[in-house]
Amino acid sequence: MAKKVLNVEDDVDTRTFVSTVLEKNGYTPILAKDGEEGMRKVGEERPDLIILDILMPKQSGIKMYHELKTDASLKDIPVIMLSAVSKRTFLRSQEALTEFGDETVPEPQAYLEKPVEPEDLAEILRKILG
Amino acid sequence: MKISKMLFVSEFEELWLDALQSLMGLRKAGLNHVVFLHVIHREKVAMKRGTGYLKQEERKLREIADIRFIDWAETLFEEGMEVGAHIVIGNTVPKILSVTEDEGVDLIVTARRKRGKLEELYAGSETSDLLRRTVKPVLIYNYLSQSGKVGENPFERLLLGLDWSVSSERVLDYVLALKGAVKRVDIIHVLSEKAIGKLSKKEAQKLEREHKKRLNEVCDVLTQERFDARPHLYIGNTEEQIEKGASEHRVTMIVLGTRSKSVWKERWSGSVSHALAERSELPILVVPAETK
Repeated sequence: MAKKVLNVEDDVDTRTFVSTVLEKNGYTPILAKDGEEGMRKVGEERPDLIILDILMPKQSGIKMYHELKTDASLKDIPVIMLSAVSKRTFLRSQEALTEFGDETVPEPQAYLEKPVEPEDLAEILRKILG
Repeated sequence: MKISKMLFVSEFEELWLDALQSLMGLRKAGLNHVVFLHVIHREKVAMKRGTGYLKQEERKLREIADIRFIDWAETLFEEGMEVGAHIVIGNTVPKILSVTEDEGVDLIVTARRKRGKLEELYAGSETSDLLRRTVKPVLIYNYLSQSGKVGENPFERLLLGLDWSVSSERVLDYVLALKGAVKRVDIIHVLSEKAIGKLSKKEAQKLEREHKKRLNEVCDVLTQERFDARPHLYIGNTEEQIEKGASEHRVTMIVLGTRSKSVWKERWSGSVSHALAERSELPILVVPAETK
């Protein structure tokens, strides 16, 4: 059975691009357009991997990542960050959230800055999911 | 009442990152989430004779907004804030209203917005339109005033204008929710000369005493919550006196309530908050009536 990959992304062009890469490489894409919908889909679909944007309406990828990694039942789902926001900002923001009392979270499995080449994304997916 | 989520509407001509950062004093009042909104006006990408829909132009404008918002968001993310963004095509006011609803924001921040002369004649300015149609508090943020002076902390000293209507109670609740972000509140009520003119000296003194008593009661409520609050009773034209009070007490922002009025009713009877929102150099926080 094909592995399920949840793509949380508000930009329709990027969602289409990622879906195409996923399908071509034998994965089943599940789509969400913001962090709120993303968390709902995680609960409903239990994906094998999450590709996560950062700057989105309703709930950002930064908050969603923090929620995932501080939830004992979800923290083992691998996450690839795919965003135009820099990795430095992402790491600092996670530190800032930790300062407010939450537990420390690990770094994501991969951090890709937009735009990404399809073959680079496919290779990372293969490395993580096999 | 709470102020945890703020909608920041920018067309990149008026409100920039420094304007946004000047509002970060609101974190002391519980602000932890900023939502950016940029509306690409329909006419900028609309069908044009011989060229059709300007898809390439839309892509360019979206990309420009995206790059700016990402830069702003990085600054806020690193401070531990939650940030979201909407880049949409359409008319400004309806888009502000729909994003406000979708996101459940507690405060809308926008610059003063004008329309074309002809459109303003029958529909009023975009600012008035927004104030008429929303139930959420709106901060009309004239960040760079005509004198070029930049407001560093607009919530530091407030002029709270009260007319004893139901909306006044809501304004007071909102100011109380700003605790932590505000240093001083000057409370003002304006009596009209016309009302005083008809009265005998004794009646006028009685009226004055009643209003001072009400002002002192409000002052006590704020003082109990550890605000530095002072009451002021002015007489004259309401708009003019509020502006005078703002200048005399060197406030950084005017806070007013507004009652629900139709566009035509507003034309006839006027609205102090809308009129000041259109012309004041200071930022104006307008807290509308709860239902519309």
